[in-house]
Amino acid sequence: MPTAHLIAVGSSPLGKTDLPGRDLFSKALAEAFEELPDPADVVDGLYVGAQSERYENQIMQGTLMAEWAGLRNVPAERVEACAAAGALALKNAVRDVRAGVHDAVLACGVEKMTAGGTEGATNALGAAFERALEQRSGITAPATYALLARRYLHETDATERDLARIAVKNHRNAASNPRAMFQDEVDIETAMNAPDVAPPLKLYDCAPVTDGAAAVVVANDEVAADLQARADAVRVAGVGSAANNLAVAERDLTYVEGANVAASTAYEDAGVDATDVDVAEVHDAFTVCEALLAEAAEFAPKGRGIETVEDPADRSAGWTDVQINTSGGLKARGHPIGATGLLQAVEAHEQLTGRAGERQVADADTALLINEGGVADAHTVAHVLTARGE
Amino acid sequence: MTDTDSTTTGPLAPEDITADSPFTLPGFFDALADGQLLAARCTECETHMLPPRPACYGCGSRAVTLAEQPRTGEVISYTSVNRPPSAFDHLAPITVAVVELDTSARLTGRVDAPLDDVSIGDRVELQVRDPETADIDPDFDLSYEEEWPVHVFELL
Repeated sequence: MPTAHLIAVGSSPLGKTDLPGRDLFSKALAEAFEELPDPADVVDGLYVGAQSERYENQIMQGTLMAEWAGLRNVPAERVEACAAAGALALKNAVRDVRAGVHDAVLACGVEKMTAGGTEGATNALGAAFERALEQRSGITAPATYALLARRYLHETDATERDLARIAVKNHRNAASNPRAMFQDEVDIETAMNAPDVAPPLKLYDCAPVTDGAAAVVVANDEVAADLQARADAVRVAGVGSAANNLAVAERDLTYVEGANVAASTAYEDAGVDATDVDVAEVHDAFTVCEALLAEAAEFAPKGRGIETVEDPADRSAGWTDVQINTSGGLKARGHPIGATGLLQAVEAHEQLTGRAGERQVADADTALLINEGGVADAHTVAHVLTARGE
Repeated sequence: MTDTDSTTTGPLAPEDITADSPFTLPGFFDALADGQLLAARCTECETHMLPPRPACYGCGSRAVTLAEQPRTGEVISYTSVNRPPSAFDHLAPITVAVVELDTSARLTGRVDAPLDDVSIGDRVELQVRDPETADIDPDFDLSYEEEWPVHVFELL
């Protein structure tokens, strides 16, 4: 089976921008291809992750993004699993390269979330929830995750302050990430005193509404060897995904089983286990998710996922020494839904190639990415990335 | 709970899947409007599923049948939607909960009580309201949803 390499990455500015979706994509593409020939001379296909056509009244993003990249009459498809769309694009690109269907594929993601204001984003995201009983009860993304958080605080020793500390940590990480939407640190009292969004979740427990795009090039050995100026490319060593139930009520609120299946599958595919992972980007759409995913990825013992904020030496027995969400995570790097899974890959690429600047984790050679869609593990895609040669 | 007049056990045949059957959403909501809360019950592993569906998420079996559900259950988790979708704006803040019925079927729903009055473990009863009484903006409903009732929990 051909090996899939991540040979180039790019992202747009993240936040509320004056650029529509296709132009955000152009920014991400321009960075990814800074040191490469034209996309038409490199890739044979494209996948684009995009959550909703409600933001810009545009479907057919596969065709549109291919056109903007100068690709014509190649396979180009939009993929969707709410916020897991970006990783789904990466997964499909990796599958095609591994299967020998294509030598190189462009995986990208884009979302123009601010187009309709907070109300537009709330309504667009609401389509991710089960319609018949849950949407008709008036729920929102913060509310569904608040149901997880309330139960987590009930079953474990964790407190609202523990959740707030995750937000504080992710803002601190984002402050040293030039790509991040938020460049400011937040202190614990600010986070604790912020308005309730859906109790026990407060403003700083929630990832922001973000415009943004990301693009990565996945290539086989030959293309990677031809095009790579540096010998430090990153390998996509493992892939896993799983869809759990759609209704949040019909899932375990404190164990994201689907995420565990996806991560375990990716570990097995890569021939690693949780203790091998040096850096992880996990889907902290809400602070409680970071704790739940640390447990599902088998970094943390049950009920102690909140210790993602601690130095490894200070964590409970049974914890690994992984560093989580060095990018600032969804919370502070930003969460442009369809692009998020690829922004995770961008951070892993920087960490594994030693380009992460102040937030560089020493000797990082294995990364785990967990990208989720719907509420928590309604859909999970996991990737293991390794520095080449590992 | 006893099974209803559905004497058959799945797999469902294509001709079983009509808008009259509670295994479809129109049939489920028609029964709910008539006062019957019907779940799919897996005859292999006893998982109860709301709304009913043709296969069991617990074990994968399609040997499902219909079973009327009790209206009472317990709050598993709860929160308040402070900024709801626009069709629900006038109802904010909306208390919502995940409730486990006494058969172990679980569903999310509004709770007709202020957030501060609700706790995990509280006993609740499911009430069925017509769409007007439930007070959702009619623009929210798709054409086929307009007559469907809405469930709301009340504290016991």
